[in-house]
This record gives sequence, structure tokens and C-alpha cells, in this order.
Amino acid sequence: MPRSNQRTALPQRNRKEVWYKLDLSAIVYPTLQRKDFSSVYRLSAVLKEEIDPALLQEALDLTLPRFPTYKVAIRKGLFWRYLEPNNRPGPFVTPDIKNPCMPMPFKANNRYLLRVYYYGRRISLEAHHCLGDGTGGMCVLQTLIAVYLELQGHRISPSGFVLDIHKPPDAQELEDAYMRYANARVKPPRPGEKTYRVRGTKEPFYTLNIIDGIMSVKEVMKVAKNYHATLTEYLNAVLLYALLQKQEADNPFRFRPVKIAMPVNLRRFFPSKTLRNFITMVYPSIDPRLGDYTFEEIVTQVHHYMQYYINEKFLRGDITTNAATQRNPLIRIVPLFIKDFVVRTFYTKVQDKNSSAGLTNMGALKVPEDMKPFIERFDIYMGQPFSSRTNCAIISFEDTLTINFASSIIEADVERYFFQKLVQDGIHVTIESNRDITPQA
Amino acid sequence: MSYCVNCGVELEASLKACPLCNTPVINPNHPCPLNDKTPYPTSRGQVEVVKRKDLGILLTVVLSATSITCLLLNLLAFQGVLWSFLVIGICICLFVFAFPAVIYTKTPIYLSLLADGVAVGIYLFLITFLTTSSYWFWRLGLPIVVTVTLLIELFTFLAHKLPFNILTASLYLFIEAPFFCICLELLIRHFFDSPMRITWSAVVLTVCAIIDITLITIISKKRLRNEVRRRLHF
Repeated sequence: MPRSNQRTALPQRNRKEVWYKLDLSAIVYPTLQRKDFSSVYRLSAVLKEEIDPALLQEALDLTLPRFPTYKVAIRKGLFWRYLEPNNRPGPFVTPDIKNPCMPMPFKANNRYLLRVYYYGRRISLEAHHCLGDGTGGMCVLQTLIAVYLELQGHRISPSGFVLDIHKPPDAQELEDAYMRYANARVKPPRPGEKTYRVRGTKEPFYTLNIIDGIMSVKEVMKVAKNYHATLTEYLNAVLLYALLQKQEADNPFRFRPVKIAMPVNLRRFFPSKTLRNFITMVYPSIDPRLGDYTFEEIVTQVHHYMQYYINEKFLRGDITTNAATQRNPLIRIVPLFIKDFVVRTFYTKVQDKNSSAGLTNMGALKVPEDMKPFIERFDIYMGQPFSSRTNCAIISFEDTLTINFASSIIEADVERYFFQKLVQDGIHVTIESNRDITPQA
Repeated sequence: MSYCVNCGVELEASLKACPLCNTPVINPNHPCPLNDKTPYPTSRGQVEVVKRKDLGILLTVVLSATSITCLLLNLLAFQGVLWSFLVIGICICLFVFAFPAVIYTKTPIYLSLLADGVAVGIYLFLITFLTTSSYWFWRLGLPIVVTVTLLIELFTFLAHKLPFNILTASLYLFIEAPFFCICLELLIRHFFDSPMRITWSAVVLTVCAIIDITLITIISKKRLRNEVRRRLHF
């Protein structure tokens, strides 16, 4: 039995007084909050039957108490923000909207930091990133779907992402797992380099352009195998290739490195059941100033980068570097508003310029066997980008691979180059979009 | 089932053009899109306006308590002059100014500006209780408040109905400024029963007229406009 299972759950009677410190990643997200930007991501599941909103609301009311770190409101302390249990009415399921991941003011929506939408056969969950990462959000979504299906009279056995709502939450689900593993003996420096940034015409407020590409997992795997790469490595290489093409078209005389910010799920390397953030970033990159790269060379470069950096040792070093800032006693006693100013400035001036696009891969999603027949596919959106660029998120379920692009600029060049490359490689792609398209005359 | 002839991707049945390259879908077999149900809803969402109920309550209580306690103190302890009217007037002004921000956010802007003008008028009227005569209020104070309120309302109207950016905002401001100065000078002369003519406000009028002509030229010439924007961006 894994050690984590032996831990005792939080006593039920004490739960009301519990408050949670923001985890290491979550500290940054509320700082970046603007009137027109929130770090919100969206997870969707397309079921095989139309959604019943009343039943979905009932399912949500039953599910959410099982996730105490999601049934919270964010508050400001003198030095740090924190999460406190939220017992206000809600959150309420609402019909879906055209512009997902819209800003989430902390005091709106009865102070809940998540939203649940329905549209046709689709259930969507939007959560502020300060609550948790995609894995945590997926647990909430899949448990919600399982409860919804159970209310319809089906029998779903909890396993994997589906948690038993009748059991109290495990203490490990609520922990800040970063601190447990931030113990490397050295703090490797953060990479900091100005990279190519996609320029485009900014869309007006309340617009998030989405382009989904749906394809077969087997087909993509086959193509990736031909390039001697994994699926993630291949899709990373395709995105780098698309960004290089875009840079060449935008400015053929002045090149900058093209870099992708890719979150890595640390649970794969450090055992943890946490439902909060437990990710770190890696940055596969290509520097076109060194010469012209063929696509095969890009794949090789990405493959070796992933092999070299994504391992327990390097990731532990990365966590330690990030944790060192939060552990520093001098930083800890600085009032919150000064921290906010410094973090926001650092993010805008350095961190945001450190990557040309974001790419996340949730991987092949597992659902309990008895839930499979009810689900068609999953979607994931990284949400509104902080600056004008494109974010790409990948998820697969059974043989359906969905690549979801979300951007707040009018131009869809990166998306076009990306999908055209897949089509050139012989992959059949189906496109869906929420864009207002006026066909050219 | 339609494919984009440019990108080679299959397009979802409700799409009329390729979202990647904007190439229209022309399928002679299906002149209309096959599917009316789009994969995304068409209605746009908006962020809920945050209710600042607690702040509204706190503001009302603090301002009312201040006014009442000062009035009582004035009536019972320090009875010389009606000094509490000054405090009450300030409390009324603060309440009216804060009303659209914290209590009822949907108050029309023109109405809230009018209310602000009325509040300032009331405050000046309350001051008349501390002065020997209210002559200054009726001949000078009230007309100035009315003029300023009307000019602010006009500025808001222009900002809402006409293009609004740093250049046009400056233009509206420099059109209104000489009018205000002329009114002010005439009102002062009327108050002191001096001959009704303009002197110093004519200088302001001339300077503003030059600025206005310059701004109109810049706004009407695209090249100049872009040059100014480039040089003055912040």
C-alpha cells in the first residue's frame, strides 16, 4: 500500500475552521489578476446525451463538498493571500457562453473560483488556477460527471480521477506538495532569455478565439513513431515549426529563439495525491539564429531536450529554485502589495517574455470502465493568454485526440501552420471553432 | 462533410468558412451549412458586477453618524454658530459622490453628475447659514455650480457620442475651457455690478482657439495623428 493511503483524513468537525495557504504556483496567479485577465482554465467533457441542468446542479451540490480546496474563496492577508472555506450559495450551473475563460473577479459569483456550464451534450468546468492544476480540475470534473450519471441511475465505481464523494478528503489531497520535494542541494538558475513573441491584432474585451482540432490518436502516434518521437515530442515540434514559420513571415530579418512553455505534471515523478497545483515549466526551444532547422531536426532537438530535462533530478532542482523565494524570511515579511508589484513586474518583464507560446498535454485520459460508454471526448483550454499570443492544450480519450488553441488575437496564423503541418504529415484533422468568421468575398 | 481547399482540414458542419485561413466553404452538394447547431454557443457572457454592499452600508452609517453627532454637538454643546452644517454638507457631498460607485452601480452617468452638482449646490447653500448674507450664493456660487455641472455633462455627452481618445478629449476640454472662463468673468462682473465685458477671458479664448485649430488639424490628418500618437504614447 502506498504511504499516502496511510495518512489520516482531516477530522470532519475541524473542517470549518480550516484555511489554506496558497501553494507555490498559486501565489503568482492572483497577482496577475486584471480587470480583463484571470488565470482561468477550462475542462470540458462531451457526453453522449443532452445534459439535464437540474440534475447537473444536484450533482454539483453533492460533489463540491468532497473537494474542500475548490469550495473556497480567496482572501487577502497582510503578507500573503489565502483560501478560506466558502459556504455561500452556489456555484450554480449556467448555460454555456461563447467566450470561455472570461475574467473571474474574486468577489463575484458568491466568491466561488469555479464555474460550471452546460451546452448540448457538453459539461464544462472553469477553475481559477490558484485552486489547482489540470489534474485537480479533472478530478473535480470526472467526479461531477460520475455523480451526475449516478443520479441518472447508472452505477459508476470510483477509481482514477473519480473520487468517492462519501469518503472524507485525504489530507494529501489538500497539501502543497511542492514543499515536500523542494529539497535539492542546489538551486539551478532560471532560464531567462527574450524570445520571439507572436504579434497580432488584439481582440476586444470578452473575446477568446478557440480553434479545436480533432484527430485520431493512432494516426498521430504512427506519424510520431516515424519521426522516432513520442506524441508530445512530435506535437511540440509541430508547434515550434509553426512558430518558426510565423516568425519568418512576420520578420525575416530579425530572428529570436522560439520557445514553448510546457507545464509538466510533477505527480509522474514525485508521488502525491494533491488536487492543488503540482506542475513546473520546461521550455523546449529552437534558436533559428544558429541556422535553418528542418522539421526532422526540430523533432530530434525536442526529443533530446525532453529526455535530458524531464527527470526527477532536474525537476527537483527547479522546484527548489521556485521554493527558495517563498522560503526567504526577508521576502516573507514584505507586505502583500509590495510583493504583488514586484511579482507582476517580474512576470510582465521577464517571465512572460520567456516563451513564445504555451503548450500543455494532459495525456491519455483514463476514466473508470463503467463511465466510458457515456463519454465521447474531453477538451482542455489553457485559457486566456496573459499577453497577445496563442495557448495550445492537448488531451486524448480513447482514440480521440483533441488539440485546443485559445488566443485573444484576431490572426490564426500559428494555428493554420500547425494544422497544415499535421495534414501534410497525413493526419486527418477536423476543425471546430467559436470564431465569428466572415468568408472572404 | 466539407474540407478547406486551402488547408486540407475537414470542417465542422456548421462552419461557413475555414477558421484557419478564412477560405469560404463552397460545397455545391450542400449550398447551406449541413448543421445549424454550432459546437459553441452564440451568446456572449459577461463578468458579474461585484456588489459592494458592505462598503455601501459602512459608508452610509459612518457619514450619517458623523452628521448626526456633529449636529447634536452643535445644538447641545457648542451653540455659537451652525458650524455643523459644514460637516453635514461634506457628508452629503461624499455620499452623493460615492453613491454610483458603491451603492447603485447602474445609476445613469448624467443623473449621477447632476446629483453631484446638486450636492455641491446644497453644500454652498448650507455655508450661507454661516455668512452674513446669502447674496454671494444666489449671484455667484449657484450660477458657477450650474455652469460647471452643465459643462461636465456636455463633456460626458461628447465623450459618449463622439470618438474619444486623448486627442479628442483634449479638444473637448479646450473648447469648454474658454466658455467657462467667459461665464466666470461675466458672473464676477455681475456680482460686483461692473460693466459687462470680457477682458482676461478673451486671452484664454484666443489661446484655446489656437489650440483647438491645431488639434482639429491633427485629428483630421491621419499621418499627423499617428505621428503624435507615436511620439506621445505612454
